Amino acid sequence: MTDDTRTPAVRLESISKRFGDVVANDDIDLSVEQGTVHALVGENGSGKTTLMSVLYGLYDQDSGTISIDGEQRTFDSPRDAMDAGVGMIHQHFQLVEPMTVMQNIVLGHEPTENGLVNASAARGEVEEICSRYGFEVDQHLDTPVRDLDLGVRQRVEIVKSLYRGADILILDEPTAVLTPQEVNRLLDVMEDLTAAGRSLIFITHKLGEALAVADGITVLRDGEAVGTVNAAETSEQELARMMVDQEILSDRRSRETESGDPVLEVDGLRVRGNRGLEQVRGIDITVRESEILGIAGVQGNGQSELVGALAGGRSPESGTVQFRGEDITGMNRRRRIEAGIAYIPEDRQTQGLVQDYDLVHNALLGNQTISPYASRGFLDWGAVRDHAEGIVRDYDVQPPNPSAKAGSLSGGNQQKFIVGREIEHDPDVMIASHPTRGVDIGSIESIHDRLVALRDEGLAIVVVSSKLDEIQQLSDRIAVMYEGEFIDTVDPTNVTEEELGLLMAGRDPDAEDETAEPSGAQA
Amino acid sequence: MSDAGSSRDSGLLDRIAARLLDASVLERLAIAIASTGLALLIGLVIVAAAGYDAIQFLGYVLEGSFGDSSAISRTLKFTTLFILTGVAVAIAFRAGIFNIGVQGQFVVGGFTTVISILWLAPMVPEGTVGGIILLLFGFLAAAVAGGAYAAFPGALKAYTNTNEIITTIMLNFIAIGAVGWLVEGPFRGEGQAAANTERIPEYVSLPQIVYDVPDFSIVGLAVALVVAILISVVLVRTSFGYDIVTSGYQESAAAYAGVDAKRMIVVTMTISGMVAGIAGAIFAIMIQGYYSNPGGIATYGYDAIAVSLLAANNPIGAIPAGLLFGGLDSATSYIGLSSNIPPELIDGIVGLVVLFVAAPELFRMAARRTGLGGDDR
Repeated sequence: MTDDTRTPAVRLESISKRFGDVVANDDIDLSVEQGTVHALVGENGSGKTTLMSVLYGLYDQDSGTISIDGEQRTFDSPRDAMDAGVGMIHQHFQLVEPMTVMQNIVLGHEPTENGLVNASAARGEVEEICSRYGFEVDQHLDTPVRDLDLGVRQRVEIVKSLYRGADILILDEPTAVLTPQEVNRLLDVMEDLTAAGRSLIFITHKLGEALAVADGITVLRDGEAVGTVNAAETSEQELARMMVDQEILSDRRSRETESGDPVLEVDGLRVRGNRGLEQVRGIDITVRESEILGIAGVQGNGQSELVGALAGGRSPESGTVQFRGEDITGMNRRRRIEAGIAYIPEDRQTQGLVQDYDLVHNALLGNQTISPYASRGFLDWGAVRDHAEGIVRDYDVQPPNPSAKAGSLSGGNQQKFIVGREIEHDPDVMIASHPTRGVDIGSIESIHDRLVALRDEGLAIVVVSSKLDEIQQLSDRIAVMYEGEFIDTVDPTNVTEEELGLLMAGRDPDAEDETAEPSGAQA
Repeated sequence: MSDAGSSRDSGLLDRIAARLLDASVLERLAIAIASTGLALLIGLVIVAAAGYDAIQFLGYVLEGSFGDSSAISRTLKFTTLFILTGVAVAIAFRAGIFNIGVQGQFVVGGFTTVISILWLAPMVPEGTVGGIILLLFGFLAAAVAGGAYAAFPGALKAYTNTNEIITTIMLNFIAIGAVGWLVEGPFRGEGQAAANTERIPEYVSLPQIVYDVPDFSIVGLAVALVVAILISVVLVRTSFGYDIVTSGYQESAAAYAGVDAKRMIVVTMTISGMVAGIAGAIFAIMIQGYYSNPGGIATYGYDAIAVSLLAANNPIGAIPAGLLFGGLDSATSYIGLSSNIPPELIDGIVGLVVLFVAAPELFRMAARRTGLGGDDR
């Protein structure tokens, strides 16, 4: 940051926030200068939203202080924060869809006269805000929100905050729902706002956008602030490397077997994400017997959607997925499970486990139509219990009690249980999405050992991870995913972290030097 | 901003929700028994305050529900219907679907039973064999009709995301109105003074084995018990039941495990409606012997929601819960006939039982749906 004697608009000092035994924010400092855009970048779960919820009065911090314009404040509710001039634009808009734009903007802050809403006064004020910032919201004031595009709705949210007197605006992943044109429009609006003296905090995991619009950038990882950099003096590559975990683990696993026949063949795959935007944009890949394909990339570049289309449960727009030569593009998840496609899901809390079930019931999840747990539609709970006990024992799940509710386990132990259950499936294909997320180092090693052992037994394995070392250590081939495409496929023995970092940021290092293996290199 | 404000204010609510979610089966049983006792106690205070002899009133309640064989058979008659309708509600609740339309499915099922028996009767021989054929046919028709009538709102929920609470309530009114019109006009029996259908033949009836009363058969109760046990076995011991219950707990995890959520909604609603339809068939065959304007038929399908909540949505639990409701209903009709105490007081006590017993269960379900008491459940 430049040597500025002005008081920062926002100053967070040593903010810590825990949820149970999960540390969401660990001693974070953040300082936002007046009239600037400060980007907060980091992967999902790195603590960005928690930090902003503390600033916005949604959560109480466990320790640390908040200062607004140099004055220390405590916020017990969003209303306190709003009174201090802090507004937040949530990722999911907080608009009442059947009500008009005007009604939404004044909702809760209606100017009243003798107890009645003075509509014309409110309208004048809103129109003035719109014209000052060039929002094209004016012509929609009497339109119900449900009839508006997402980009316009977002501007309505911004006008709403400004109407309530916000000088500091928090934008929580505002570009996630927008088309590229709308994103550009939003970035323009953000510049206009700072030009008028407002201060913005811009939460994103899209590095290009952060670089384009922000003045300062703070990177969060696993609840810690890894560093704050000046946007003019950094690069996507540096940010990408700061964002991803780089714990040093043991060396790359040696390879004892050769890859065999193709098991999974993906051709021209295009998949839409939850918000209807195309997240996978034409992927071709083959995974062979006895091979681990690593998919690297900054989160949100289409990995989840690709995995969904491979494991089943998300149907592609176009393209095909073949399993041992058979087209399974339209096959539902259950038949894929029965065919031997195991899947360690990205989200263990909502997908991988039923939180209210004990481990015995969870051991059946996904196995409920498979022998020996089920025969002719009837369940053998004895076999399921044995299975659960086996997983708990072999994968060192703590507490070692199959009757414990899944929700009572720590994240790492939940993950070990899921990994165990999926491996014990005796699959032909293993799709592992962030298989060691939140797991302690010792267990990471043991999960890695098991994945390698599966590879040596002949399985075709896909590992998606944002940990570079994990990808490099496990993979026989690395495909780097950027904005829905494989930007390159590289040989892990022949690529440096720097080169991977460049690829993850969407640049082809081949253009600059020739050390990386060309695409398609494989044993 | 609304959820921003409430998340801060809800500390106490959150703790209560967490406590309710943590309650074990035994604790819940204890809560149910204690609440019933408490509700009765408060009810007696109200009776006394209204100027009646509370002890005498308690005596009437016991006499009217279990006092003699006619009281017991009356209690068991209501119990039979409450078990079946309660199980119908419970299946849907377990899958996380609010089937408030059991009354409509019950009416449609019962009416279809009578109509289909009347239709088939001329084609089968009279007597025992014909009676059994007609009985089975009537039950089958009820299950099909009730199932279809529930599958419809199920499909609306699954494929158009329509709120099932609203559609099932509306379908209740439609069922009552439509069947009411049918028994007034097209299906009105000849020579019937009231708006009723033709009587079904005398030989189509559930056999009287234990009690010689016209409107209760132990076979009807047996059917209810078998259905409750069968549904319980399906939910606990089959892959299909695991799919249903898992969908109810956590839809995203069910999808991960290969459950087709949309199909599951339709199938669960269909089964729920089939059970409601069977309840309707028993009502039509065992109690009425014809079908009358459903506007005048007791609201078993609505009371069933309370039965199911009291039973913690457990089909086996619907048996004692049904017995409690059956006993109270039976006492109500007894007191209405044999004392000057207004039977509305019993209705009030039933209301208190529902409030005391079912409310904690309702809060549990609401807490789970809204994520209060911790999201990680």
